[in-house]
Amino acid sequence: MNCEWVQQNITLYLYNELADDARHELEQHVARCQNCAAEVADQREFQVQMNALPVEEPSASFLAAARMRLQESLETAQPHRAWYHRLVFDPAAWLRQVRFSPALSSLLFLVGFAGGIGAMYSTMSKGQRPAVITGATPQEASIGGITSIEKEAGTDNVKVQYDKRLPESVQGSVSDPKVQDLLLYAAKSNENSGVRLNSVDALTSKADDPRVRETLTYALRYDSNPGVRLMALEGLGPYVKDDIRVRNAVLEALLNDSNPGVRSGALHALDPVRADSSVRMALQQLSKEDASPYIRSESTRMLASMPVID
Amino acid sequence: MAGQAQSRMNDTELIREAQRGNAAAFEDLVRQYDAAVLRLAYHLTRSEQDAQDIYQEAFLKAYRNINNFRFECSFYTWIYRIVTNLCLDLLRKRQVRKEDSGVTTDSEGGSYDLLDQVADVRSGASPERDLMRRELGARIAKALQKLTPRERMVFEMKHYQGLKLRTIGEILNTTEETAKNTLFRGTQKLRAALRDMR
Repeated sequence: MNCEWVQQNITLYLYNELADDARHELEQHVARCQNCAAEVADQREFQVQMNALPVEEPSASFLAAARMRLQESLETAQPHRAWYHRLVFDPAAWLRQVRFSPALSSLLFLVGFAGGIGAMYSTMSKGQRPAVITGATPQEASIGGITSIEKEAGTDNVKVQYDKRLPESVQGSVSDPKVQDLLLYAAKSNENSGVRLNSVDALTSKADDPRVRETLTYALRYDSNPGVRLMALEGLGPYVKDDIRVRNAVLEALLNDSNPGVRSGALHALDPVRADSSVRMALQQLSKEDASPYIRSESTRMLASMPVID
Repeated sequence: MAGQAQSRMNDTELIREAQRGNAAAFEDLVRQYDAAVLRLAYHLTRSEQDAQDIYQEAFLKAYRNINNFRFECSFYTWIYRIVTNLCLDLLRKRQVRKEDSGVTTDSEGGSYDLLDQVADVRSGASPERDLMRRELGARIAKALQKLTPRERMVFEMKHYQGLKLRTIGEILNTTEETAKNTLFRGTQKLRAALRDMR
């Protein structure tokens, strides 16, 4: 067992990839050879150093968001079928395709839920009313999505499987990672602008966290609601000096946001960094071209109050 | 052993169901792997957006091509092949746009600072040590960028995700020997890069 072989196999050894006998030989050699022992120690240290970039488990909300998005995409996706499959009529697959038909969806809203997943009901035939099984109203039952429909051969019976949405709540400080994860998710993806506004509002107190700033920046750039964008701007304002990404996002908002309220908010937020050359260029453009007279005059005033740095 | 055979059979049934277009069966199948896939994608790309995109693309692609899966390898290997190819594509794209400073662009052209991408340690015990650790993390992220996409991928799978070299070879459609050599090259480059940065 010579040093050359050992040196070439230390990496494998440390990753537990050596066969048992090879591992034994290597350990025996290293116990007697100082050079090789030093190399092992060095490579070990390297491996430890590399763990300064640790692997994190995705947060529950991150994973949940990914799964929900996938579920939505799968509802309209279809596996590529081999050509011979197309020649055979598959009633189960056909029924899956009609699961989004309005007639079936409206039928579902007439049916009650027995406090579990799955319900059986008879399909209508020639103007007959569907048989209602149990009594909860559609408002109480929030349907997450319909997952499958199976028709019993030779009968009118259809089995519909659907997901129910279970409301839950979590309470705690904004510093609590679980709460924060939910807020970050809500700020980016919720359909309700009021919910997005409240999340962004709650998150502004934690803008010292770069992950929170990333979400606030996203909201400033992409949220459809100007109130939410303004709220995000408020949270980001203190960071224009030290965080170049925040400065760029605010600058972008200043130049491109459709809402004059957001643009003037951005203008004021950039006051501490008005000496920055890209901010100056933006101010020069705005003082001439902005649609809002207030912004034009404010930009002019800010330019005038600046030392010229070249 | 018997337990493994049992779960294999269930997987087989799920796969056949998915091949018939049963999205729910596919989702059941996916749930066994998706956390690991997201973890890999996020650690590799350091971007939530990119990790999400890889996740979505990978599983959608898998669903659309499920009829091409003919059980010659394990479903695990098959999924990981798809994910790895997407990761390699992203790494190649990023290499083209790479800049020398600590600022890099993600796949959407948004810029991010490597230092900010390193996990913010909330311990609060020693701010100096936390900062030092984050700086080391940033240096490591920078060193990783010096690897070729393939070297980066192999290192990620071996060191960070703990996969066996044999599996890595299968995933990359190559031999265990080739995977080994790629790991060596990557490791040498990284050690040299870290030494240079001291």
